[in-house]
Amino acid sequence: MAAPAFDRRRVNGPEESFPPVFEEDREVKKISKRTDRENGDFRPVFLQPGLITQANGSAYIETSKTKISCAIYGPHQSKNAAYSENGRLNVEVKYAPYSCHRRKAPIRDAEDRTIGVAIHQALLSSVRLELLPKSTIDIFIIIIESDGLEASIAAGSIAASTALADAGIELFGLVTSCSAFNEAQALMDDNDLWIDPTLEEAQAAKGTLILSTMPALETVTSVWQNGRMQPADVLKCMELCQQRCVQMHAIVARSLVDNNQVEPSE
Amino acid sequence: MSDADCLLPGQPIVLPTGPAPRLGRGVYEKNGQVRASLVGRPHHDGSTLAISRTRPHPPAPNSIVLGSVTRLSPVQALLSISVVDGVPTPPGEEFTGVIRVQDVRATEKDKIKIADCFRGGDVVRGQVISLGDARSYFITTARNDLGVIFATSEAGATLEPVSWERMRCSKTGSIEKRKCAKPEGL
Repeated sequence: MAAPAFDRRRVNGPEESFPPVFEEDREVKKISKRTDRENGDFRPVFLQPGLITQANGSAYIETSKTKISCAIYGPHQSKNAAYSENGRLNVEVKYAPYSCHRRKAPIRDAEDRTIGVAIHQALLSSVRLELLPKSTIDIFIIIIESDGLEASIAAGSIAASTALADAGIELFGLVTSCSAFNEAQALMDDNDLWIDPTLEEAQAAKGTLILSTMPALETVTSVWQNGRMQPADVLKCMELCQQRCVQMHAIVARSLVDNNQVEPSE
Repeated sequence: MSDADCLLPGQPIVLPTGPAPRLGRGVYEKNGQVRASLVGRPHHDGSTLAISRTRPHPPAPNSIVLGSVTRLSPVQALLSISVVDGVPTPPGEEFTGVIRVQDVRATEKDKIKIADCFRGGDVVRGQVISLGDARSYFITTARNDLGVIFATSEAGATLEPVSWERMRCSKTGSIEKRKCAKPEGL
């Protein structure tokens, strides 16, 4: 990957380098049976609001190998933008250089923006932007460790929504997000739908789906489907994801209530 | 039971029977159900139901703001707003306000000279009259309790108000012109 802009202030290393490719890596990847959880379960979640003290609100989420921190700044006055009745959400996603198997150059690329757009979409209808004319809310998401695009988007949306609530920004509801995938290469007969893919599972999956909802209002904020999936499977996936979103909502609620009790608002 | 008292965004609020309360900050109504939109405990303030959190928020019409004068021109004074309704904005996230020449005072609006009312660096208390244009909020000081509340003289000493349009240097005793705010408690 040739970097479009060369950053002289950093130790850049060689321009291109690749890890050695072994014969077994070339084989078609199969999804190994899960040993740590059921196919329909998500990974254990650790969620902590309010870790970054300088920010107005923040959250850290960890679901085994996905680690994401999120900071909220604002609302502050929109700079060099036209007058707008409603506020704006500005989502920026960054990968830590050591977050993936291959080193990530500290330059914004297409993948960051994909996640940023997906999280923006998931959050947009939950924030009461009509109360914040001419203002902007900045959401900065740093992916410390990544375990697949789907898990990053789902965990990033949850972290961002928790951080928004922590920042005291008025929301219609808390957003939770869950991903699912169907898998047909290895186990043709067992056409199960699986929840919360890891990187390996997402690479071997036929199609993936990410559902973001506001469980308190029973509304969907965003559906994002990739790859091949039968319409019936999509509907089944959405139903399954929605159940998991409700469970995730309980985790988010618990963490916010606990955090609010430690330092009660004035 | 403190768990149950703390509401989360989207959580329905059970209202006692009787007249419906007016909705303040932190609550909203959707499909006939009143819900919370902030983390916190709801409280009744008169007939208004609200969840209050003292967090920085952008200026709205009728907000009282404090700011320092950053730029003067014959038609307006630019203000860097650093306190909104008693809550300081985070550093580096100041809002920009404008005091237009017709908003400085209520009387003799045609005789106002901006340079006789404000100087760079003055701390001004004002009220937001509108959201203004894309760049700035419109601020007025046309009230007795609004205007310059802190200023330094040419000699560098603190100015003391002697009338609503004059201030005296505490070091040299020279008079400078400002649109002063009436001090509280007088």
